[in-house]
Formats: sequence, C-alpha cells, structure tokens
Amino acid sequence: MKSWTELANSSFFDANARERALGLVDKDTFTEFLSPIDRYCSPHLPVLGAAVEFDDGTVTGVGLIGKHPVFVVSMEGKFIGGAIGEVNGGKMVATIRLALKAAAAIKEQHPDDYAARRPLVAISFETGGVRLHEANAGLLAHAEVMDAFQDCRGIVPIVSVVGSKVGCFGGMGFVAAATDVIVMNEEGRIGLTGPEVIEQEMGKDEFDASNKALVYRTTGAKHKYIIQDCNYLVEDKIGDFHNVLAEVADIPMDEIEKMRRIGSLKLVQEQQGLVKLVGDMQPKDSMDLWKHFGNENPAELPELSTAEFLKVVKRRERA
Amino acid sequence: MEELDNTMIGRGRDAIDMILDSGSFEENHVGAFEFDPEYGPGSVVGTGKMDGMTVTVIANDAYAFNERFPVVFGGVIGLEEGYKMATAVYRTIESDKDKPLAEKRPIVLIVDTPGNGPGKLEEIAGMNKSTGGYQLALAEARKTGHPIIAMVIGRAISGAFLCHGLQADHILALSKEYGTMIHVMPITSISRITKMDIERLEELSKSNPVFAAGVDFFYKLGGVQEIVEKPEDMRDVIIKHIKEVAALKAEGKSELLGPWGRGILGNERGGRTHRMAAIKKVNEEFDAVADKYINA
Repeated sequence: MKSWTELANSSFFDANARERALGLVDKDTFTEFLSPIDRYCSPHLPVLGAAVEFDDGTVTGVGLIGKHPVFVVSMEGKFIGGAIGEVNGGKMVATIRLALKAAAAIKEQHPDDYAARRPLVAISFETGGVRLHEANAGLLAHAEVMDAFQDCRGIVPIVSVVGSKVGCFGGMGFVAAATDVIVMNEEGRIGLTGPEVIEQEMGKDEFDASNKALVYRTTGAKHKYIIQDCNYLVEDKIGDFHNVLAEVADIPMDEIEKMRRIGSLKLVQEQQGLVKLVGDMQPKDSMDLWKHFGNENPAELPELSTAEFLKVVKRRERA
Repeated sequence: MEELDNTMIGRGRDAIDMILDSGSFEENHVGAFEFDPEYGPGSVVGTGKMDGMTVTVIANDAYAFNERFPVVFGGVIGLEEGYKMATAVYRTIESDKDKPLAEKRPIVLIVDTPGNGPGKLEEIAGMNKSTGGYQLALAEARKTGHPIIAMVIGRAISGAFLCHGLQADHILALSKEYGTMIHVMPITSISRITKMDIERLEELSKSNPVFAAGVDFFYKLGGVQEIVEKPEDMRDVIIKHIKEVAALKAEGKSELLGPWGRGILGNERGGRTHRMAAIKKVNEEFDAVADKYINA
C-alpha cells in the first residue's frame, strides 16, 4: 500500500477503491467500516457460484479534512463492475446517514464552531448500478440512497467524485446527479444508459459504442463540465480531488445549494430549458451543443489538456 | 396468453378511471397550475377525487409517442416525461404549502413503465437528471407529509420503477395473475450478462427473492407492501393505504414509510436481513470511534 503522500501524487484513475478512500481525506485519519477483516461478504454470490470480496466491493468509512468528518463511500470497479447489492448497498446507506448523526452531535457539542466541523459525504463512484446477481436488493438500495440524500439536503453536503475506469452508470448515474457537487477528472464518465445499450436501441449508424471518442463526448467529464453537470474538473491526481473536497467542506450550505442540478422546481425548469434546446436542435453529437454554448472549434476541445481546456472552454450559462 | 386477457399492461388511463371517483379526473391540472398538453406525452398528470379527497395522479401512457424524443413510446419515461412528473409533484407541494399535515393531498402513482429513455439525445441532455429530479421531488413531497401510494398495474422495470414508484410511502402491486412484472432484467438477460447457466438461474429463482423477477419476491423483500388480488379492488386498497400512511405521518412514524420503511419490512419478512445487519455493524463501528471525529 502506498503512503498517503504517494497517494496524493498518484493517478486517481489508476487507484483502487481503498486507495481513493484513504487519499480523499487527510493523512492517517481514515477509519474503515466493515473492512475486509470483518469479512462481511455478500451471501448471495456463492449461491450463484460467483466469487466474493471481503468488503463486498465497496469501501466505506470516515476520515477528516481539517476538523470536518468526511464520510466516504468508494466503489471498486474491478469487483463485478462496482455494482451495488444488498450488503454494499447497506454499507453505503448507513455511511451516508451517519453524516447526519454526526452533524447533530457536532451541532450540540460545538455550536459555536459548527461551520469548521460540518460533516461532508464523499462518494467515489465506479459502478454500473444494480448488481444483477442480487438485482432486487440492489434496486431497493438505490431508492434508500436517494431518500438519505433528501434527508441531508441543506445540512450536509454530498459530493460525487467520478474519475475511474467503469464510470458511473445505470441507477448510480442518477444517484450522482442528485448530489450537491460533482468533481471529475477528464476520464470520468456519468450517464444513465451505457453506450452498448444505446447502440443496441438505436443502431450502430446512430451510435457506435466502439467509438471511444464519441462515448467520451457524450458522457465524459468535458461534456458534463460544459453543460454544468460537473462543478469541478481537476487533474488526474488523488491530491487534487482531496483539495476540492477541502474547499467544498468550507462552503456555506446556501452556496452549496446553488451548485446543484436538480432538487427543486426552479432547477427542474432550468433543466427543461436544456431539454428544449436539445429537442429543437436534435444534435448529432455533443459538439453541436458545445458550439451553441460559444465554443467556436468544438472538435479541438477533446484534444486539450485539462488545464488548457479550462482556460478556453465556454459553458452553458446557468439560469 | 389466455390467462392474460384481463391484464392491465398498457392501460394506465383505464386504471385512472377505475381508481378515481367517476368523472373526477382533470388531466393537466394540479392546483392552480396548468400543464402544456403537448409536453411529455408519455406521462399523464392531473387531479382527481377518491372518496371525495383531492389527489394528484401521475401515470404512464403506453400509447403515446414523443415526436421530439422518439425513444419515448410504450410507457417509456423520457426527458420531458420525468421533468413533467417532477413538476406535478412540486406543484402539489406548492398547492398545499399552507395546509396542516392532515390536509396535504395524497399523490397516487400508477405504474406501468418499461424503462427510462435509452437514447443518444437522452444521454447528451442527461437523462439521469430527469429521472433523478423526479425521485427527489417525490422524496421531498413524502417528507413534507403528502401520502404517496404507488400502484403497480403492469410493468415496473429497473430504473423506471426507481423513478416512478420506489420513492412512494407504500407500494401496491396487482397480483401476478394479471401479468404484473417487477424486475431489473429478465432472467435471460441476467444469464447473458453474468454468464451463468440459465437453467441453474431458473432453478435458483424459485427460492431466491434477491434476484428473481416477480411481484411475490418483491413482497418478501419489503418492496411491495400489499398485493392487490384483482383490478376491481385497487381503488379500495389504495384508499385504505392512503389512510394508513396519513395516520403514521400524523403519529410521527415516517421512518416506517418509504424506502427506509421497506428496509424494515424486508427484514421482518425475512427477505432482506443482511442489509439490516450490515447497517447495524457500520453504526457500531462508527460509535466506537465517533469521539475522534466529532471532537477533532
């Protein structure tokens, strides 16, 4: 295992779930819940003849950033595509709800220092959504996460951290959309329907799932940043993600609320404006939309480094 | 197919008429707000009466086609549909915002949807926000005190069921005799994706509620509160559940409702016990170190 300092300078994309969890919080502050030592595995996988992991493919725990407790959920894409089942779904929901419990305790014990100690939830998504081997339990867990998010509204910020190989798809695609703040590296992808399914539905002429550039233009971080579905686009270093979390931890909740995409009638109306634009324009490619938002040479944007991209990119104006 | 002559699949609009007081449905009206009838045709929203109570109704229209977003047909929830449904929920909250808890109008979801819009335009605009936005609206309405009952009359499939159904206080489903389908994926697709033998999966699916398709398995997991034996009973059972839910909210027992309540029910019914054990253990492990983090 790499040291914290090594992790801070390491690629987020290449890191496994536990490395991401450790590196997202301050040095030596992470305590894992239901760690592999507990061997709390899925009881459903062996029945179907599939292998288990001792952490059920999701690392959960708590760390600190400054005095802020940070409740971390980190998914491992190498284990059944990071999919959510009964046990890791339960770990995820429990960890998010603990942030609210901590918030109440801190409010009571540190009423004058609450802002500096306000908890944060950070979810490192690497998942295709529901784990098919235990699909029904996984589906129900998704609903519990959305319910817990609504409980956290205005009290504890929830941050999506997306930049791993599998991306964030299926039900977890809308779970990420429902968080307060989304942080991505260039390799990050968020969507609902995966590229293969779109190709299957629409035909290869309309959407070629093997065209990696097209897939990235449709669900990748640069597109998400342009349409304001990603709040922070960072370099592919775990330390850069940590720094954004540290910044968000200190932002007042009413400012956090303004970073959201969905969760109120006003935000729904703003999104309906985007849907109208897409319905009227019928874009063949996300680049049509990039051009509409003022990027004269959209084709050059995917080629730019993150730093160059951030310098020149024009984004959708928020209502 | 003989036994499915009486299926309710594709009959969302008929279900509205069967459930509401006769002739009471006003489509595209919620409170003082009117909806554009051309927008999001795959979903039906409006206001009606049940036993004289004003209720908001949200359903799918399996016979509508959305010309702007051609993946929307057969009850699919597309970009416009999700936002239209979310708007109906927010307008419901707004209409009753000054009323006491007991007078918050119920929301009845009539569920018959095969999925969320699976297209390129949908991904470019972000279909995840449409379906997620509707879920957050329902969660907010539920927590504001509106009793929300989902009535599954046909297809309740995966992400579309998460969007339109799984944020309700109580979920009811028509018995499987009527062709009602609740699942993430048919067993043939699960077999293809997980590369597991279909015969073995079929054998296991007879006894394992966590992956098998069907209303009865969702009941065991706590995902369905009550199975409704026949369509003629839907109206009375929904009214009964509206009253039960309203009573629990009045007593401050909202924890027994919605997704968290279904977790408790799934544990009691023995279909989902590992989740509860994992949650308990996570809580214990945090309690052991909480001091270090709360008093950092």
